[in-house]
Amino acid sequence: MLQDDKQLQAGNMAARRRLKRVASSQPGFLTLKSSLHPTDLAGNRRKRVNKNKKKNWNKYSDINDVEEFLEDVRHQERTTGGLLSEKTDDNLFYVDLGQPEKPEQKAEDAQPDDGKKRKGKSSRPLRIDLILQRDSLVPPPKDILAYQQPNAKKLRRIAQKAEQLAAKGVVPRRQKRLLNRRPVDRTAKKAEANNNPDREYYDIWEQQPKVTADPWYLQQTGKKLVKRPEKLNEKPSVLPAVEVIAPGGSYNPDFFSHQALLQEAHEVEVQKKKQEDKLERQLAVNREDKATEETNLREQVEGLVEEEENNEEAAPSMEDDEAALAAIAVTQKKTERQIKKERAEKIKEQQRLANRRQTEQQQQLFQLRSIKASIKKQDQKTKDKQMQRRAKQEAQKAQPRRLGKLKFQAPDLDVQLSDELAGSLRQLKPEGSILKDRFKSLQKRNLIEPRERAKFKRRLKVKYVEKRAFKEIT
Amino acid sequence: MGGLQKKKFERGSATNYITRNRARKKLMLSLPDFRRLCILKGIYPHEPKHKKKVNKGSTAPRTFYLLKDIRFLLHEPIVSKFREYKIFVRKLKRAYGKTEWSAVERLKENKPTYKLDHIVKERYPTFIDALRDIDDALCMCFLFSTFARTGKCHVQTIQLCRRLTVEWMNYVIASRALRKVFLSIKGIYYQAEVMGQLITWLVPYQFSHDHPTDVDYRVMATFTELYTTLLGFVNFRLYQSLNLVYPPKLDSKAELDLKEENEDDYAMSSESYYEKLSALSSSLARVVSTEEEEEAKLDQFPVEGEDMDKMEAREKEQKQLEVQKKIFEGLKFFINREVPRESLAFVIRCFGGQVSWDKSVCIGSTYDVTDETITHQVVDRPNVDKHPVYIFTLTLPPHLSPFVEEKEGDYVPPDKLKIMALQRGEQPGTDQPYFINEEEEAEEKNLKKMEKQKSQGKSLEVKVTPGKLKVENPARLEQEEQAEEKRLAIMMMKKKEKYLYDKIMFGKKRKVREANKLAAKRKAHDDAEKAKKKKARK
Repeated sequence: MLQDDKQLQAGNMAARRRLKRVASSQPGFLTLKSSLHPTDLAGNRRKRVNKNKKKNWNKYSDINDVEEFLEDVRHQERTTGGLLSEKTDDNLFYVDLGQPEKPEQKAEDAQPDDGKKRKGKSSRPLRIDLILQRDSLVPPPKDILAYQQPNAKKLRRIAQKAEQLAAKGVVPRRQKRLLNRRPVDRTAKKAEANNNPDREYYDIWEQQPKVTADPWYLQQTGKKLVKRPEKLNEKPSVLPAVEVIAPGGSYNPDFFSHQALLQEAHEVEVQKKKQEDKLERQLAVNREDKATEETNLREQVEGLVEEEENNEEAAPSMEDDEAALAAIAVTQKKTERQIKKERAEKIKEQQRLANRRQTEQQQQLFQLRSIKASIKKQDQKTKDKQMQRRAKQEAQKAQPRRLGKLKFQAPDLDVQLSDELAGSLRQLKPEGSILKDRFKSLQKRNLIEPRERAKFKRRLKVKYVEKRAFKEIT
Repeated sequence: MGGLQKKKFERGSATNYITRNRARKKLMLSLPDFRRLCILKGIYPHEPKHKKKVNKGSTAPRTFYLLKDIRFLLHEPIVSKFREYKIFVRKLKRAYGKTEWSAVERLKENKPTYKLDHIVKERYPTFIDALRDIDDALCMCFLFSTFARTGKCHVQTIQLCRRLTVEWMNYVIASRALRKVFLSIKGIYYQAEVMGQLITWLVPYQFSHDHPTDVDYRVMATFTELYTTLLGFVNFRLYQSLNLVYPPKLDSKAELDLKEENEDDYAMSSESYYEKLSALSSSLARVVSTEEEEEAKLDQFPVEGEDMDKMEAREKEQKQLEVQKKIFEGLKFFINREVPRESLAFVIRCFGGQVSWDKSVCIGSTYDVTDETITHQVVDRPNVDKHPVYIFTLTLPPHLSPFVEEKEGDYVPPDKLKIMALQRGEQPGTDQPYFINEEEEAEEKNLKKMEKQKSQGKSLEVKVTPGKLKVENPARLEQEEQAEEKRLAIMMMKKKEKYLYDKIMFGKKRKVREANKLAAKRKAHDDAEKAKKKKARK
């Protein structure tokens, strides 16, 4: 039979191949397989090829029978779990005893109330599951890597050593360190943010217990806060923190106080306007500086008309210079007589002045009263000046100082005109912003310096590109 | 002779000052951090007396600090915290950039924080020092608590501010410390007397926010950071002084009153307690619950150098104050929904009244509109119904500023005189109308009484006095208004236009004058003629 033949083939493949070649080479030999193209063999003559090349071997040697045989073996293994030839008769055959007697009915009796629908569903698996089920009986190959362990030997040895030590009662160092570690305080509160809405407060001004530690130690380790200088507690301005708006700023003001406030606001505006006008005036072009026809003409003929006056003026100036030089030369030398005379005159003059001074001093004795008065006057004057200066300094204290590049700009007065006043709290439209008011107040009290908002500077140029999607539409 | 040559700018005031940039470098901080540190520590820039001497001969305007101040800053522990924070931000940015979310989580968990407690203690060594400087803190906290939670500043800061302000208001109510209220066009000014210190603060109207762009929010937030710490500690101390439980708790009796209503409509159950606290409608729990505060009579110690007159005056003042404190005692108010609830409730409770509102307005209402015992309804709407008595509310007496202090001989508006009298507890001539009000209310409770909070808030409805009705001629009013408009328009004219206008006016006047002259002449002439004729007849 075919099977026997195959078995034979499996027995020694090399021999078989040789045999086959021999057989096929003989005329009149018929193979069992139809796939071997019997027509080729019958009609044409066999193609001759050189067998000394690997390519030809691959191309022209016929291995179908081997493959088929192997496929068959695999099929048997898959479906039955081994070769059929090796199975015992018990495994292959059974004695037919007819239909078994209603095994399903019994099962139904055992569980009658389970519901018919459910039974059918649960007993039959889904088709998809059936498709995906493994149907081969060959067990999957073992994944060796899953069972391998790197450094297994070393680890085993370490474990053995540890066991030995544990038996002796020796604790390894690592464990000892773990045991000795201070337990982490899990309950310790994390540092909470300063603006946590549920933060807790306590009595910060209560009497602190006396610190007994060495002050030198505390100071050197930075544990003691440096004492705040007294001078820092002085306020930089005498102005109150909250300046209450004038009575005219009420939501429903008295007529007179409202007018007073309006007047004040008006004055501020007028002052501003004045400044603006002044600037405009200063920047305005002077009419005399404007070019007229006449000046244009003069400019065009500049240098064309001869000027004789200049030449005339230059000549006398030369003469003057010469005269001055001569004068110097003349005064350089003095005669002996002149010198003596001058000296005598000088002495005489000095004497005269000394005499005069003496007499004046003598005379002052009689002017004592007036002198006293003048001294008093002078004192008064200095005192007044001092007072003035002091008053000015006091006034300065309430003024905003110049603390930076910019001067303090007083905010606009918050005013509602008569027709803007609502007169009722419900209809009131609040004026101005309190945030701004507070900010300006801080500046006014010299707590912060007036500053301009930093301007945004782009470092890189911006390039505008039309998106492709947009381009397509337009 | 001899010796080393003195160099310029190496001694004297030049060595006492340091420019801002140099100070910043010395502290190794960025400019925003430096600014924040200065604000927190209370170190402010100085203007040197002689700029040229300090600024190496230049008069260019710069910001100077005192060198000693900056040296003092060097010791501050917070400086290192700022640097830590800088590093934290850098790491966080890096982690974000690399999309390492676990690193971001870990970093955020260990965000460096700092406390300002020691700075508060250092800047305000005693409690009174802190109280003196509380004005600013209150203003800032009230302001920030009204901010929308839109990211202009941290939401947490806003919540903290709200909590602190509620605590403060509750304290003021409990201690009856409020003295003056002024409703201005800007906001509401309050003045309270706490432990002998007059404290003024400004509260913005609700929902009145525009965010000005020329304000440095970072600076304001830094101030607020310090002030929240300060205000918290002050609150704690104040609560302690009144024997109140510090994180404020509602009185157990009051709590029961409030329990009934369905709270879930207003707030989550976790927040509803706090919301009830901030409704200001009920009193707070005390550590030692005293049934009735004993009227502690102040012992009178004549201060040396103070004569009897002064003491008497003081006593009188004291008495007046007592009356003022209890001006609303035993009265029950009902606030209607168009009235600013919080400020009114605060004021009424400060003077001993009981207050409630409609359930739909806010949590924490204590009684209903239908309550028979309500004595006053607070309304702010033009009343159309049939009640002639209350039409006068359209011409309300003006709201005067209580912050003006009159000196002797100054002009005192008659309205103010009236109010002052009311404050003293007398009711000059108003007794009758006052009772009429109540009677009428008894008659028709549901008829809303037109009432306004007026000057001082305290003397609330006493101002609703029909007897003081000022009948104003509407035509005259209109005329006045027009005249003022014209006057203002003239004021606003440009110079050129003004000149022209003046000329025109002058021309008109001249014409009139001439016409008058002519008329006079004519009259004189006619008279003369008549006289002549008479003579001729005779």
